[in-house]
Amino acid sequence: MKETREVDVQAETEPRKETEVDASDTRRRVRRRGVEEPPPGASPTPRLPWWANPRVGLVVVIAALVALFSSARPAFLDVDLTLVPLQRDISVFVVVGLAQLAVLSLGHMNLAVGRMAALSAFAAGLAYDRFDAPLVVGLVVALVVGAAIGAVAGAIITATGVNSFVVTLALDFGLLGVVALLYDRFAGGVAFSTRPPGMDELRSDTFFDYCIGPVCGPPVPLLLPFALVALVLVGLFFGRSRNGREVLMTGASLRAARLSGIPVGRRVVTAHALSGLLAGLAGFMLAMTNGAFSASIGDSFLLPSFLAPVLGGTLLAGGAVSALGTALGATLTSVIQKGLNLLQFEADALQIFIGVVLLVALSLDRVRQVLAERRGVRA
Amino acid sequence: MSATLESEVRTRRGVTTSLHRTELVLAAVAVLGFTALAVTTQGNILQAGTLRAVLQFLAVPIVIGLAQMVVLAVGQMNLSVGVLTGLCAMVSASLMSDTGLPPWLAIPAGLAVGALVGLANGVLVVLTRINGFIVTLATMSVVSGLRYGINGTGTYQDYSPGLVALGRADVLGLPVVFLAAIATAVAVWVFFARSVAGRMLLASGGNPFAARLSGISNDRSLVVAHTLSGLLAGVAGVLVVALAGSVNASVGDDLLLPSFAAPIIGGVALTGGVVSVLGTCLAAFIVRLVDVAQAQYGINPRWVDLVVGAVVLGAVLVSQRRGRGSS
Amino acid sequence: MRVVCTQLVKLFPGVRALDGVDLDLRPGTVHALLGENGAGKSTLIKVLTGVHKADGGTVLVGEGDDEPDRPVVFSGPSDAQTAGIGVVHQERNLVPAFSVAENIALQALPSRAGLVDRAGVREIARRCLAMLDLDLDLDRPVAELSVAHMQLVEIAKALATDSQVLLLDEPTASLTAEEADRLYDVVRRLREQGHVVVLVTHKLEEVFAIADVVTVLRDGRSVAGSVPLSSLTRSDVVDLMVGRAHTERELQAREVDRSTTPALELRGVSTSVGHRDVDLAVHRGEIVGLYGLVGAGRSELVRALLGLDSVTGGSVLVDGRSVTIRSVGDALRRHRIGYVTENRKEEGVFLTQTVTRNVAVTVWDRLARLGLVAERRERDLLATYQERLGIRLSGPTQLAGQLSGGNQQKISLAKWLAADCSVLVIDEPTVGIDVRTKAAFHELIVQLSEQGLAILLISSDLPEMVALADRVAVMHERRLTGEVENSHDYAAMSGRIIRLVHGEQAADAPPAA
Repeated sequence: MKETREVDVQAETEPRKETEVDASDTRRRVRRRGVEEPPPGASPTPRLPWWANPRVGLVVVIAALVALFSSARPAFLDVDLTLVPLQRDISVFVVVGLAQLAVLSLGHMNLAVGRMAALSAFAAGLAYDRFDAPLVVGLVVALVVGAAIGAVAGAIITATGVNSFVVTLALDFGLLGVVALLYDRFAGGVAFSTRPPGMDELRSDTFFDYCIGPVCGPPVPLLLPFALVALVLVGLFFGRSRNGREVLMTGASLRAARLSGIPVGRRVVTAHALSGLLAGLAGFMLAMTNGAFSASIGDSFLLPSFLAPVLGGTLLAGGAVSALGTALGATLTSVIQKGLNLLQFEADALQIFIGVVLLVALSLDRVRQVLAERRGVRA
Repeated sequence: MSATLESEVRTRRGVTTSLHRTELVLAAVAVLGFTALAVTTQGNILQAGTLRAVLQFLAVPIVIGLAQMVVLAVGQMNLSVGVLTGLCAMVSASLMSDTGLPPWLAIPAGLAVGALVGLANGVLVVLTRINGFIVTLATMSVVSGLRYGINGTGTYQDYSPGLVALGRADVLGLPVVFLAAIATAVAVWVFFARSVAGRMLLASGGNPFAARLSGISNDRSLVVAHTLSGLLAGVAGVLVVALAGSVNASVGDDLLLPSFAAPIIGGVALTGGVVSVLGTCLAAFIVRLVDVAQAQYGINPRWVDLVVGAVVLGAVLVSQRRGRGSS
Repeated sequence: MRVVCTQLVKLFPGVRALDGVDLDLRPGTVHALLGENGAGKSTLIKVLTGVHKADGGTVLVGEGDDEPDRPVVFSGPSDAQTAGIGVVHQERNLVPAFSVAENIALQALPSRAGLVDRAGVREIARRCLAMLDLDLDLDRPVAELSVAHMQLVEIAKALATDSQVLLLDEPTASLTAEEADRLYDVVRRLREQGHVVVLVTHKLEEVFAIADVVTVLRDGRSVAGSVPLSSLTRSDVVDLMVGRAHTERELQAREVDRSTTPALELRGVSTSVGHRDVDLAVHRGEIVGLYGLVGAGRSELVRALLGLDSVTGGSVLVDGRSVTIRSVGDALRRHRIGYVTENRKEEGVFLTQTVTRNVAVTVWDRLARLGLVAERRERDLLATYQERLGIRLSGPTQLAGQLSGGNQQKISLAKWLAADCSVLVIDEPTVGIDVRTKAAFHELIVQLSEQGLAILLISSDLPEMVALADRVAVMHERRLTGEVENSHDYAAMSGRIIRLVHGEQAADAPPAA
């Protein structure tokens, strides 16, 4: 008779993810039905049909928008005016999205992602300003500081068991003050004036400016490879490495992970450290794009950090991530932004569009899921 | 397995008892902090002008904290409260300035906009089954755009001298806006403590399964909570209009994170089912005290954020320790 | 109210969970519903309470003790409630922060002008508690009550909606003896008032203490449909429940070489969760059973052993060496001890992950080349265990949540075998698994032991214990009360084991709540 009780207890103690919709009865029912009474033996392959893959939808939408914008404003295809700055934006926001993705993998959130970027950028700026550090040393400093502050967040969460939302919210407040105080103290204002050698090139050059003989590189900004490397490494980390997969397993079920011998506490710290590291990278990249290390870096990171992964099909529940989807999500929002800019929409219309796109994309996703379920495939 | 069950019961048992203690501790901190401030500033803070300012600028934080608390009650979050406050303020101001509507019509219109957007949030959450965090993230973007759409970056002022005079007036030595905020808090308290709708909402938040078996529609609770949250954001918007004398589209930009801080410090759980109006108000007051202290001592204003961050984490840690200790 | 169910059928894909169940619930009786795990009790309850819709058969409802004539179909829990059928789970049906009174009256809160009529709420609560002859503080939040009181509040809540039929699902599982007595008093009172109380339980003493009528389910059929208990003896009931299944599954007593150093040995172990002086040894190739009632502290002992709680005294020896185990990872990688948990869905498998990852999770460090896991080696690993354990899969990317309970259990086992464990603790391996899969699983466990694994088997299923174990240690209230060499003679063994379980029960104080 343990069987009944097992089911009861399970429903009662079903761990509630911090923001999971409690009353989403349908979804839970569907999930529970899928879990409780599966057919014995072989059931249909869980692979969703290709059209139920949100990434495919994103590519289609991006292509359609690019076609639309470029037919309305041929300037959209202008390399110097649009494409290069667009790539720069995308680069920064891909990394910002990945920073959030790193903790979404656990079902956690990092509300301090912008402020971690700010603190990292400050550290890099300080290295350049006070110690005349070469460009790459500043980058390393930014990454280390970001990873360290992320690890602190992860350690607090592990040690106290307080919700990641609350911890990073508190950290965000704290860092907001700290960063401003640090700039006051060390930069005498809100920004460092020093620019390390190489910064201007990194900011404005593209590979087209570098030629070997008659062959020049493509019109791709020098910052793009940073994002690409981050993307590939994050993808490999979660897809193929032991640590990354253990983070995902921890996100999928903390208790099962603990009982499978995964050091869950350490994995939580790992994921948050990775989030901080990527935030640091994003902060560094934005400082490069802006041409200054200032206290306002990271101010606008919070929303895009969620937008990109969520559009790309990463759920807040944890246990599954899509790095590629995040890149596509960041691309989509940046394309919309640039396109509407060119069409001379005001900033306000732009925000409305992005909000609506997010809603529509997610609703379609939901419709796709329902359709897929009806076709006998469980998502 | 019974161990799991018992521990679950134990954590839940901690919730209610520790909530009352959280309120007590917060009250003690508020009184001590206020007294300390009064003593160290040689009574400066007790002077009529200063005290008025303290209370006047407490009104919006209280209401915005309540707006967030209402959705936390059902285990949801509302990221759009801040910008929605701005939108409601802009709508009211615009109706008075641009269309010449009298305040007694413009104010309900502002409130209606808040409630409508909240309703939209709730309906979207229920219909799409998408996480409320994400839905309100999207509507936050939309509302923020609408907010700028009303008057671009322009500022409304002199919309209604009467209203602004009222917003700065006192009754029995207390600022009207502060009294309005307190009245709102009382109304919210009555809603959760006494009204059938409020109890049902809390039941949904506390145990959706039990609520469903008791004939309560969890979907309806979600919609009600979001609508109420929007309405409260509308109240905050109207208070801003009455208090500030001039509003622009940046109103509400800095309200989102504080809206979480007040209920969280006040002991409201993110998982839903428990609210504390008193705790939320006291938390807003304590945060306000930090602000006042900064102004009184001429400290770098940046310290305020640092302290608020520490208070948020500290409050949660302390209540968690106690929750554990009491079991 | 009288409820008569005839030939109820409930199909799940591939399984006839209910295959012709008859049930006659007469007012003023206590009706025990018995059956082994997987016999269909929980499905029957779900059909009766409207959670599942029956695929065949009828449910008739009638007034008083008359022959019922009104057919009913429940399409949701509220339908069943309206019809007067209430179910009492273990405290899951309450809102923790609400008061006792409000929880009882929640289904129809009396109100005036939209505000809750608090006096009315109290009135309802007082009336319902009075029917149970209970005196509880009406204003106390239920979160502050003991589990026993929560259960009583739930019963009161069911009475508030005028439930004539009350289903009590394992009501005494987490109660002390005294609390259980109190509950029985309440049940008897309800019977006097003309209610039907359906008692789902696996404690036979309980059945014989308070039930009047019994229905026994086996393999989804009612092998005894609403039989007066007075006409049955205890062993009749056991025979009905078990059928001849246990004799079929009987294995020969095996010779186990216990002269070697035990693979795992506990000497006078005490733990932070209350175990005292536990001595236990498991040799290679041996299956040692750890039997006891639910809540005896068997799983808790293993959890302490694995570092999830702490061992506070005595010593733990692995292959004769005294060790300290700090975490499951430690147990796995340094001492090669694996734990197949009883809580399969929450702790055993990752429901939302692919089966490949579920199996490989313990060995990714071994499968990795240059820090990257080779997916081909991962799939080979899955293929190995798929074949060895006979796991039925549609492909390596199938999600664990889509498998049947038996296959999930095999996945949960495979990850430990993949990690090359030499000691395996298997906790309630066949809970919620159908009879045929169960037999296959038993054979698998025996095979594993024959391959040299030391197996500690925790089970509350006595026939399973007798079929599999070489020795059975009995735990009661966190102490070992004895050890029995298994003769594989069910009648003799069950008697000896049950005596060990109950022999100590009277002497010991009831466990703290």
